[in-house]
Amino acid sequence: MKNQSSNMKRIGLGIAALVLLGFPLIASTRYQVHIVNMAGLYILMSLGINLAMGYCGQINLALGAFMAMGAYTAALLNTRMGVPIWINMPLGMILAGITGALIALPMLKVKSHYLALVTIGLAETINIIIVNETWFTEGPLGISGIKMPELFGIPIDGAERFYYLVLICVVVGYLAARQIMNHHTGRAFIAIRDSDVAARAMGINVAKYQIMANAICGVYCGVAGVLYAHMTTYISPDIFEFKTALFVLTMTMIGGMGSLAGSVVGGLALPLTLEYFRAFKSWQLVGFGLAIMLVVLFFPGGVIGIARRLEQVRGLRLPWARKPEKPAQTEASHVP
Amino acid sequence: MNIVSIFIQTLIGGIGIGSLYALVALGYSMIYRSMGLVNFAHGQIFMIGTYFGIIWYRGMVLGLQLPYAVAFILAILLNMVLGLILERIFRPLANYDLMLMLLGTIGLGYVLENMAVIIWGAEGFAVNNPLGNTPIMISGVAVLPWTLLLIGVSALLMLGLNVFLAKAKIGKAMRAAAADRETASAMGIPVNGTNALTFAIGAGLAAAAGMLAAPIVYVNPAMGAAVGLKGFAAFILGGAGSIPGAIVGGLVFGVLEAVSAGFISSAYTKGIAFVIMIVVLMIRPGGIIGEVTVDKV
Amino acid sequence: MFLEIEHLTMRFGGVVAVNDVSMSIQRGEIHGLIGPNGSGKTTIFNVVSGYYKATGGKVSLEGKPVTGLAAHQITALGFARTFQNLRLFTSMTVLDNVRVAMGQHARAGVWGEILNTRAVQREEKHFTDRALELLRLLNIAEYAHERATNLPYGHQRRVEIARALATDPKIVLLDEPAAGLNEVETTQLRETLLKIRDSGITIFLVEHDMKLVMGVCEQITVLDYGKKIAEGPSAQVSRDPVVIEAYLGKEEDL
Repeated sequence: MKNQSSNMKRIGLGIAALVLLGFPLIASTRYQVHIVNMAGLYILMSLGINLAMGYCGQINLALGAFMAMGAYTAALLNTRMGVPIWINMPLGMILAGITGALIALPMLKVKSHYLALVTIGLAETINIIIVNETWFTEGPLGISGIKMPELFGIPIDGAERFYYLVLICVVVGYLAARQIMNHHTGRAFIAIRDSDVAARAMGINVAKYQIMANAICGVYCGVAGVLYAHMTTYISPDIFEFKTALFVLTMTMIGGMGSLAGSVVGGLALPLTLEYFRAFKSWQLVGFGLAIMLVVLFFPGGVIGIARRLEQVRGLRLPWARKPEKPAQTEASHVP
Repeated sequence: MNIVSIFIQTLIGGIGIGSLYALVALGYSMIYRSMGLVNFAHGQIFMIGTYFGIIWYRGMVLGLQLPYAVAFILAILLNMVLGLILERIFRPLANYDLMLMLLGTIGLGYVLENMAVIIWGAEGFAVNNPLGNTPIMISGVAVLPWTLLLIGVSALLMLGLNVFLAKAKIGKAMRAAAADRETASAMGIPVNGTNALTFAIGAGLAAAAGMLAAPIVYVNPAMGAAVGLKGFAAFILGGAGSIPGAIVGGLVFGVLEAVSAGFISSAYTKGIAFVIMIVVLMIRPGGIIGEVTVDKV
Repeated sequence: MFLEIEHLTMRFGGVVAVNDVSMSIQRGEIHGLIGPNGSGKTTIFNVVSGYYKATGGKVSLEGKPVTGLAAHQITALGFARTFQNLRLFTSMTVLDNVRVAMGQHARAGVWGEILNTRAVQREEKHFTDRALELLRLLNIAEYAHERATNLPYGHQRRVEIARALATDPKIVLLDEPAAGLNEVETTQLRETLLKIRDSGITIFLVEHDMKLVMGVCEQITVLDYGKKIAEGPSAQVSRDPVVIEAYLGKEEDL
């Protein structure tokens, strides 16, 4: 039984890997590939916010600012000094990570909706600086002429080739997040979310882990920013506004806060669905809003939450809903 | 013109804008107090309220061109009805945690904003000022008559709200329900009813703010997001859930904006206001008037 | 002295919750702290474990001052505690509740965890083995993979104790561990306490169950209205007229 299910899992993974690797070949237009690339960037940001907010319980609405740190690092270094993506990537990650850590500092003091406002305020402030310091950032016009990357002389130009770069980043990002959650750092995040009072008594340095969670969130968004700059070759400040943070937050909630698989599901589902309904213009966004309200009011655990519930009720096993370490026994069996 | 009169002029402008923020912040505050709900769609409710009035003034409904005062009243009444409907939808949300509230109400914001685009178009328009655009001079200080009207009407509305909450029977019931839901309902106060009324009053105040703002801003479906954010900032700054806090928060935020725009840098207006707000919250994590909660072990 | 509390005072606004209390605990003993409700027992725990900043006085462990340190630093010095109202990590399994408490000994940083190095794997295995050992000590090993909140109340209390022990403490502060337990469970708790003591860990116990306190504690300190009114071996304290008076006067609290 166990062997069979692990075989099934292997076959499923194999098929998934084939689809992922072959996607640019089966996509009918380059634009489709571009949309999926964008979804990949959203997945990265969603993984980041899931670690900080879903697991560690820290409200953070400054995702756009983190992404901007990565994107502007890449754009400025590339257009002014010709620095390639391979160097911009670690630099962007570091700068975005530092921004994440700095934004975490008020969190040590301010809580809940007050904190939501502080993070919005900090993100807005960074955005205002980008818009106004034209000498450095080109202001509202943005920066154009960013070069697409090149690897050993092979240009990674065009959505199809860039797709593989995004794919590698998403897979590495997902696996790294999973490792973090499987070890002490991840457990400390959850402990802080569940009860920061008890976490302190367990010797957990709450401040340190809160800062770390937000720095990691910053790094993920920074990666997305660097990729974005080199992928679209043009960036402007409006992309990093508050609404980007909301968008990422929404897809994370729809997928499932506190579930890494939820980030993948939400990060794919939301941009693709919206793209599908693009022809409907404003109605598309009305539908988007209604969908959010329905999810929040009726399925607060998101898609992964629904999957988990099905698992428990029907004994269904959905491969992408990560199960608890052992299948849950019925609660009634050991009530005294 | 000397520096003092420029300062006074800036101050009056700031108080004007601040009164609008305060009216919006009051909506946040009242809904938060009674339902524990942080309504991030309140900016869009403000925007819809503005349209609810302006459509009558500009003859967008059956070609009727009603006087501004009538449109003002209609805006408030229509938006209160909207508030009643929305309260019913969001009743379950009040027991959820902040992230879900945030998202659910943001979803509502999307719906409202894009419905407005569908019905009234995305472009927006300027509303001609019923009191004209010529400033009057009061001992060397130039002020738009509309600004004075705006401050006056806002002050009356806030005063009226305070009297209503303190004296009227329903107002007292609303306060009781906000303070302790369970006890209030045990004493026979219909808590859901008072919540609905609270939501409606919040929406009505937002509509009033919208109608007071309309002649001096550019009316369009996206205006809700910007005003909503500032109203939220005022609500938090004053101390979430405090009625005087919302008023103080709104005025402080408006004046900060005006003064930083006039005397420091207009490009950084919004930034400076936010930075000061963050500093205030770092010093007083519960807002200016809010109580600081002690971490219970 | 092992644990030394000197002239400890804790004021909340105008209320004096703990008033100039001095006491000391020997290594390896089970020391009871009793007194009517509101006499300041839990407040002393909260000061010692770093949740409240004392208004006056000081606390030291093995001569090292504790006062003024943050809660997690105090834990690192060798203090562990449980909470009167359970504070388990509700979304974690029993095993993870215990494993997370061993984290202060984690040598691997987040990079090691991401790369899942040999050292990290070894450490992880060690955490798991030690956690299971503690769960066996408290007879709840079979629930290791259950969500902690799915366990019956008495078992949840045991998870709290296992979790406290996982921090590898020199002294554990147990805040009413018998509250809500039935007779059988209380007997088991008593055995567990003795086992913990025998493994070399000092126990500082706040408890209302007098039978348990008298049964396991070598020394007892009695508080009333935030002041220490008696102290000594349990047999002596139980006969102390001042103590009896304090309890009789507020019988309804017991």
